[in-house]
Amino acid sequence: MSDIKFITREIGSLAKPSWRVKSIAGRPVEERDIKAAKKWGEQLQVEGHGELLELLQKGEGFNEEEKARIQDWAALYGIRLLERAGLDVVYDGEQRRTEMYDHAVKHASGFETRGTVRSFDNKYYTKAAVTEKPLVKEAYDLEEFEFVRSHTERQVKVPLTGAYTILDWSYDEHYSRSSGLLGASASRRAEARRTFGVDAARNVVRPNIVGLVEAGADWLQIDEPAATTRPEEVPLVIETFNATREGIDARFSMHICFSDYTKLFPYIEELDDCYELQLEFSNRDSLDLGTAAEDRPGYAVLQNFKKSSWDGKIGLGVTDIHTDFVESPLLVRDRILHAAGVLGPERLEINPDCGLRTRTWEISFQKLQNMVEGTRLAEEALNGS
Amino acid sequence: MPEIKAFAPGIYARSEELVAATRDLDRKRTTEEAVAGQQLKDLNALLEVQQGAGLDFLSDGLLTWQDIFRPFDAAAEGLAPGPLTRFLNTNTFYRAPAVTAEAPRLSQPLGEPYFRVDHLPEGRWVATLPSPHALAEWATGDVSPRAIAEGVLKPQLEWLADRGYVLVVLQDPALFGERRDLEGLGEALEAMASPLPLALQLPFGDAGKLIHTLAELPVDAIGVDFYQTDLADLPRPFPRTLMAGVIDARNSLLEEPEELAEFGNRIISELDPPELYLTPNGDLQFVSERIAREKLSRLGAAARTLKESA
Repeated sequence: MSDIKFITREIGSLAKPSWRVKSIAGRPVEERDIKAAKKWGEQLQVEGHGELLELLQKGEGFNEEEKARIQDWAALYGIRLLERAGLDVVYDGEQRRTEMYDHAVKHASGFETRGTVRSFDNKYYTKAAVTEKPLVKEAYDLEEFEFVRSHTERQVKVPLTGAYTILDWSYDEHYSRSSGLLGASASRRAEARRTFGVDAARNVVRPNIVGLVEAGADWLQIDEPAATTRPEEVPLVIETFNATREGIDARFSMHICFSDYTKLFPYIEELDDCYELQLEFSNRDSLDLGTAAEDRPGYAVLQNFKKSSWDGKIGLGVTDIHTDFVESPLLVRDRILHAAGVLGPERLEINPDCGLRTRTWEISFQKLQNMVEGTRLAEEALNGS
Repeated sequence: MPEIKAFAPGIYARSEELVAATRDLDRKRTTEEAVAGQQLKDLNALLEVQQGAGLDFLSDGLLTWQDIFRPFDAAAEGLAPGPLTRFLNTNTFYRAPAVTAEAPRLSQPLGEPYFRVDHLPEGRWVATLPSPHALAEWATGDVSPRAIAEGVLKPQLEWLADRGYVLVVLQDPALFGERRDLEGLGEALEAMASPLPLALQLPFGDAGKLIHTLAELPVDAIGVDFYQTDLADLPRPFPRTLMAGVIDARNSLLEEPEELAEFGNRIISELDPPELYLTPNGDLQFVSERIAREKLSRLGAAARTLKESA
């Protein structure tokens, strides 16, 4: 009988409670918002949450000190939700952050916002331009990390927006200006982007991480949703990861989602000491039970990882974050058992596909609970108990 | 010296007011009528900017289009809006057309509000359509470019010709994909038998490797993104009207008109195209409206300088 135990954790974001959104945005907090705070405070056994309810009774006109306290409460609720769901590794659901890109660039000099652009339909995002060599002078997530560290006994993993995604999601008014890119050769265009990416790694992401590690953070997750957007630049994704983590004594992993993972090969073999790639699979998978390859089409790319000489762990996405369908523990179990059969259980840790910020807390909590239960079922099956 | 023209086809950026109105619509805080009113204000502002910039052809900016395929997905029998899909290497997404019949048909050509003929001033209008190849290749389900051309786009082209449009730009981002059917594109273009001049635009990609093949197609102009394509890779002389993407629609950096005009002169001296169109390299919806407006102004200024120097 073996003793397999999978680590479970989230990826990053949770939805922000309405009482947090409204109070910070200066909109009135309504009775139903306070009821939600009470319900979740009780369900998650958030210690002293009566104090939050009292604070929220003010309804509107929260001053900066009160807003800061509300942010703390949102972070604490996030931590407790992840703990009560049974996860081994937690953070705060990114309750203090606006959005992953905006959070990173607003703390750096050298970026200026350039208005609203459309993502699709009537959905938009604010986009910034790099206007000079970017720079972060000190760690900007320190307060966030220290709050989490001091409010949980569980292992902590800090999610951070990666340099390549900062590059790819920014306009370039600096590096391309001096390069004369109109009608230029591909190599000149590539060099301008490479310089921006490496600067973002060394001067934006890394200073934040250095401060976090000095404060005790020992696991940093670099989020690179843009990683395979331009397949020809996957080597740059690797280079920026390596430049970010160079010489820092901590565990680093990378989260990539909604991407074509086949484009990562063979380049991931050049990753320097990357503990793990946390990836999304269930979004592409069948909802039927079964552990055979034909039952699990969403996990077909695991074969590529099996063949690769890169031998880091895979953070196996077993929960789709784009749907309210709650995966049963049996479905989670089968996804894990299939992946364990391909890669071996020792290479797996378990997570949702991505952050759960687009789901309600009710759905997120159910999904995470089932994810943990399904993980235990998979362990039982593998351990023969 | 080739004739020089400037214009901006494709989906234009929405104003901050239209962004707010459409967001409010999604949150049920405003009405369809209020959004339509703001779209009209945006259209009038866009027409004013184009006229002020002295552009040669006017576009309505496709301000009601959710993406380049959507009006046809929604209107044609045999097509439907499908899964959300990333548009090339951008952070913008479209709904891939879902094929529900072998030969999709547009039972009635699209009019208002997709083509703002009731609101366009007298002038020379340019329309933008998806290339039949792009729609077929990026669709989920099997359909040929020719079937799209015959059943969906041909009736629309005839409608546009009847209403006085002078040029149709066919956007084809799918030519950069792994699935590429140049033969199918050629057949589709033949089948359309367009009554209007056609420009085949290759937005946001390196046209250098494709251009020699594309030159054989029955189109009047070919659109090249000069922020992705090396001038040195293009054939000399350039065999068609060159629709030169010299305004970078994916970057907020504002181009200097003098530099654009200088580059235009380089194109003329090195490539000697029969005609030269100066345009953005793709939809201006990838920058905010404030920046798009300024880019249009600079495009017009560059064209004026180039025409004067020619």
